[in-house]
Amino acid sequence: MAAASVLAASCSGGGGASSQRVTVFAAASLTDAFGAIAAPFERAHPNVRVRFSYGPSDGLAQQIRSGAPADVFAPAGEAWMDVVAKDPGVVDRADFARNHLVIVIPSTNPGHIRSLHDLARPGVKLVLAAPGVPAGDYARRILRKAGIAHAALANVVSNEVDVRGVLAKLDSGDGDAGIVYTTDAQAAGTGILTVPIPSRLNVLATYPIAVVRGSPAASLARAFVLTLRAAGFLPA
Amino acid sequence: MVRSRVAALLAVPALAFALVPLVALAVRAPWSHAGSELSRAGARTALAVSLEVSVGATILAVVLAAPVAWALARIEFPGRALVRAIVLLPMVLPPVVAGVALLAGLGRFGVVGRVLSHLGVTLPFTPAGAAVAAAFVSGPFAVLTFEAGFRSIDERLVEAARTLGASRWRTLRTVTVPLLRPQLLAGLVLTWARALGEFGATITFAGNLKGSTQTLPLAVFQALQTDPGGAILVSLVMLGLSVLVLAGLGGRLLER
Repeated sequence: MAAASVLAASCSGGGGASSQRVTVFAAASLTDAFGAIAAPFERAHPNVRVRFSYGPSDGLAQQIRSGAPADVFAPAGEAWMDVVAKDPGVVDRADFARNHLVIVIPSTNPGHIRSLHDLARPGVKLVLAAPGVPAGDYARRILRKAGIAHAALANVVSNEVDVRGVLAKLDSGDGDAGIVYTTDAQAAGTGILTVPIPSRLNVLATYPIAVVRGSPAASLARAFVLTLRAAGFLPA
Repeated sequence: MVRSRVAALLAVPALAFALVPLVALAVRAPWSHAGSELSRAGARTALAVSLEVSVGATILAVVLAAPVAWALARIEFPGRALVRAIVLLPMVLPPVVAGVALLAGLGRFGVVGRVLSHLGVTLPFTPAGAAVAAAFVSGPFAVLTFEAGFRSIDERLVEAARTLGASRWRTLRTVTVPLLRPQLLAGLVLTWARALGEFGATITFAGNLKGSTQTLPLAVFQALQTDPGGAILVSLVMLGLSVLVLAGLGGRLLER
């Protein structure tokens, strides 16, 4: 079904002789997943180039509202899609992926982190995405659910602008622990280990995607969205 | 008359280029609820952190820059050009690269940072770390201006003072330093202004925490993601501070 619609969309979208561009604004946590999908999409659509602008969902949403030339928007949470849906508006909105969160630590584990509750131990250097960044909001929700928000948030040494910032601080070994999406942890190098968050305390992050209203490459953008949905990208 | 018209003709493009975006900031600012926006963005705290960090960075940069600038200006030694290139390098480095390099060097598990942390000194996530990041990036401005200053000393005046019986210390105090004053102050102002505006190295090396390492530029960046109006207002606070210092002190000095 999905494959058929991809084909249909690609026929209507990719017909131009000169090369066309689809610009995708995507949450930083989607960097690896989207990078992997671009190549097959471009193979299926000769003359089409996909450009990505990865960044914090909130920042991307603001850019789109200020008229940035985005054809597709894929933030890391519903809230920022709601913002863009209001202005300038979106079409073909759908959730295409789900993600959980996980604790990440440097492989040397300098903070001796073994469980979620260790994040509340005094002196632990906790690095989170900033409030307002979806990953940061999810992390805080988990800490609240676990009843350790007060102590753990007192351990925060840095509010990063996105999950990649969190990983960078742990990869260098300067932070003791952070909370990021499972997919980011998987994509991180060998310098990073994970500590699971119990599923009753974890949250499910959904990834919405949509074509931005007014996109000059709307039909191609729609084809890209359908490709993603068909790929069934569904992180652990 | 003609001269001033020519001057205007020559100055207007650059003036407009500098002024249009800055004036637009003031036009777009949500003045009606400026107070609440500023406090939501943590402007007061960020201002305090910024002053602390930029002054600390300037002191560190000047202490490191003055001796090397003296050596570069007054002593012929092999490898002088290389030394100059190395100490000026942070100026042309993208600040984020500077931050990554600082983590590799002075982070908890960095080449030197490892030793520091055995001594109980950790720089990442501390105001001291933010000052180090800003000093790293702004130091070259001190080296450049100080070197030019040290070069410009008229040796005959110093010799005259010595021949007239002034001690080394008195000569330094009454002749050399007063001669250097404009350059020294210009160096201070440029270094401080660069440190005040530092963003990339700071967020990469020292992180972003309100009341600790969140300087004004970091507060602007964070506010921009949730509250563009607040970001504009905090930017104006920074702008005001810079204009005050550059116009009040630097402008007059650079004229000489």
